[in-house]
Amino acid sequence: MADGALSIKLRCASWQQLATIYKRDLSHGTMFLRAAAPPAVGRSVRIELALPSASVIVLTGVVHSHVQDPQRGAGVVLALGPIPAGSLWLIESALASEHRRPATPVHGTPTLGASPPRGMVPGSSAVPVSPSISDSADVTEAEQHLIKALVAEAESLKQLNPFLVLGVGYEATDREVRAAFGELTRRYHPDRFARYESPELHKAAEDIFLLIRDAYRRLADAVGRAHVQKSLDTSPAVPRVISAPSREPSPVTLRTANTQRIVRDGGAPLLPARRSMPAPSPMMSEPFDVSPLEDLIDQGRLDEALVAYRVMGKKYPHDRPLRAGVLLCEGLRALAVRDRSLATLRFEAALEIDPSNERAARALADMRRQATNERKGLLSRLMGTKEP
Amino acid sequence: MSRIIGIDLGTTNSCVAVLDERGQPKILAGEAGERTIPSWVSWSSTGQTTVGARARRQGVTNVQATVYGTKRLIGRKVNAADVSWFARLAPFQIVAAPNGDAWVRVHGQPISPQEVAAHVLRAVRKIAEDALGEPVTRAVVTVPAYFDDAQRQATRDAGQIAGLDVVRILNEPTAAALAYGAHRVREGRRVIAVFDLGGGTFDISIMSVEHGIFEVLATGGDSALGGDDWDRRMIERLVGEVSDTFQVDLTTIPVAMSRLREACEEAKKALSVDRETQISLPFLATDQTGAPINFERTLTRQLVESLTRDLLDRLEAPCRRALGDARVDAGDVEEVLLVGGMTRWPAVQDVVERLFHRKPSKGTNPDEVVALGAARYAGILAGQSDDAALLDVTPHDLGIKVGDSQFAVVVPRNTMLPVRARRLFATTTENQKFVSIELYQGDSTDVARNRKLGQVVLDDLPPGPAGSARVELVITVNVESILSVTARELRSGREASVMIRPSGGLSQRELVEIITRRQNEHASLGLLHAEPLGGAVRVTTRDHMLSKPDDDKP
Repeated sequence: MADGALSIKLRCASWQQLATIYKRDLSHGTMFLRAAAPPAVGRSVRIELALPSASVIVLTGVVHSHVQDPQRGAGVVLALGPIPAGSLWLIESALASEHRRPATPVHGTPTLGASPPRGMVPGSSAVPVSPSISDSADVTEAEQHLIKALVAEAESLKQLNPFLVLGVGYEATDREVRAAFGELTRRYHPDRFARYESPELHKAAEDIFLLIRDAYRRLADAVGRAHVQKSLDTSPAVPRVISAPSREPSPVTLRTANTQRIVRDGGAPLLPARRSMPAPSPMMSEPFDVSPLEDLIDQGRLDEALVAYRVMGKKYPHDRPLRAGVLLCEGLRALAVRDRSLATLRFEAALEIDPSNERAARALADMRRQATNERKGLLSRLMGTKEP
Repeated sequence: MSRIIGIDLGTTNSCVAVLDERGQPKILAGEAGERTIPSWVSWSSTGQTTVGARARRQGVTNVQATVYGTKRLIGRKVNAADVSWFARLAPFQIVAAPNGDAWVRVHGQPISPQEVAAHVLRAVRKIAEDALGEPVTRAVVTVPAYFDDAQRQATRDAGQIAGLDVVRILNEPTAAALAYGAHRVREGRRVIAVFDLGGGTFDISIMSVEHGIFEVLATGGDSALGGDDWDRRMIERLVGEVSDTFQVDLTTIPVAMSRLREACEEAKKALSVDRETQISLPFLATDQTGAPINFERTLTRQLVESLTRDLLDRLEAPCRRALGDARVDAGDVEEVLLVGGMTRWPAVQDVVERLFHRKPSKGTNPDEVVALGAARYAGILAGQSDDAALLDVTPHDLGIKVGDSQFAVVVPRNTMLPVRARRLFATTTENQKFVSIELYQGDSTDVARNRKLGQVVLDDLPPGPAGSARVELVITVNVESILSVTARELRSGREASVMIRPSGGLSQRELVEIITRRQNEHASLGLLHAEPLGGAVRVTTRDHMLSKPDDDKP
């Protein structure tokens, strides 16, 4: 065998496989290859990795050690050189664009290529790939996806109050606020996107970072946090209370606000609890039984429910649960057509009028949780960051 | 895609580094193993240039065609106080360019400091390419934090001339902190100060480091104070002594001045360690009788300190102001990093200790730490490392002219980048037709003393009494320090905007001319092997593109 670098051609059959390899190996600068007759430690290796999109990226490295992996069998661990930014970007954007396609389920432990090279004969597992395929179309498409994701992210952040932007609770300390800001900065700072060419992308990243930075500025110290909190208490545009889902029949009972918090997967409270509830209006003395209407909603008959709420609302113009119900229906309808911002507005307005409207509270909490998860998941995939 | 290198383009020495396979920054050394090269350029009588140590050696004989310290001139006007000081003592000629910029003249040819810097950058790039074995087209270049936009742009232009795409301009103290602290501070928040006294500039930065986030809290300094000033005081003193003893004015003898300067620099280095040192300059000149002057002198540290006491005083005010801007007490600063060769001077270290109530850290090599940090930042930009992020600030107040010559600050200095600032302004006269918004940068309350960056004109304002038209001004500065301004009249919705790329003194046309001239020279010498100019030559016509450039109505 020639003494130069071993040349190996590998093919990633599916996106999921690529994601696994990337997460497990590439992002740590290593790679595991099964090999019956492993080459000597220190031998340099050149790998042409064909992505499912038929793009090929070239990785270089040296054999770091021989290992006997209980799951993966005998093989070598390669220490890879720095993955060229372009290649890294290809992988990340490929994974990002794959997010849009239906996932192909893959069973069993993902391994590299159909048959990892026995004795690493160069090209032994080569799958016909066409190196002349231009990645540019692929790349632009992926960049477009990233831009879209970032713009959507900026839009969703704009709707949130500073606490939600940073994902910290009302009781957060200086330290927690700084830590949250630090993590978001590492993820969203425009420098992280410097390797992409598109000015549009840079702009989107900048927008996001400015929102994060402004939130940080306002919450950086106790005085600022108290101030923001106070303005939230009086501002109608911000959700006030997410009450615990409950089966209690009477809509006028006052519930404690902070009985339950929506906890995001990281463990930090996503929706900060408010300290106190606004007292229910004395006008709400005549409770109107809305449970038949709520049943309509639960059955998904939104249009009928909406009409019913409106009719009843005309009859009892001061009944808060009814007015809130109209807004709730409108919000749910908006949600059905994926108009999230309108839905948010309606749900918030519903809670404003009737803080005990648990359906609106639940819908809002679901939306936020979903948005956060999507954001975290998508961005992690896009940026290749491990979940915290 | 090629790697991005980190370059410390210093007043006296330059240095290049890159992230290695393990993600650690390393200095790239030249053929002879030299880790820094002097920022000197020398022209032979045939127009050949030499750079670095060889140019510096030429400085003794080929005095008038050997140029150094041009970082003090880059992006500056020739009539600036410290520039004229520098010009008086430099053995080479400093002349005014048509636009008033300070240029040098070599063999009768005016040469911009940008071109001089480009020669150094090209040499540095060559070192990197030889060490890496691959072409290099992109770089992060460091500048003093206190450089204004013109000086930064001039540095970018130098990169462009040298065929380098300057991906980002990085502040030197920030680079030093990155190199120093990236792997040290994992837990907890630390406030550090970076005290950077180089050959020609002084920077002080107060930073906080936490969770890999390097946040510049405040920065300040003096772009015209550095080790050269210590040299100059010594030279002036010795010139005076020679004049008293031998009635000979050395300043008229370039070779003698050059030797004296070398000797003083050496003596200063020696005095950083020892209490006294010997200067010996045989055959320095001839006296009026034609007899040779053999200059021998024992210099003490005490003497030099007494000559430079006021320079030490100039270090204090910027430090106090930076601490104030950062809203940090001197006692809160947990560590003071020293950067730049002049911080080896004991009296400077005493000042630091007195100001910050603690002994400064000396663990790092002050000559290399900036390049190492630049390489780290290059790694962040290239996506090679994602465990750190940098939050830098605007070094000067940014604002507009209001009234006759008042300066209304819109973006105060030390605002975190990127910036998006809004301000509302009102018209001042009845039925005012247009407003001309002039943008300035600087720290004076009088606009005339600040630097004008550009202007935007908003016309066809709706008629009404004074103050009726309200103009919303939005200033954005992105992470690359590119400034854009939008003005909008709120009632009519009329809008005008301008993107301001500060001029470094050379117009795009001049830049292209320099680059093509160089290519032609290379071609004629048979040296042009398809030198990749990369993305560096992106000629834009956006510079100072005003919405109404000629709109100067009364």
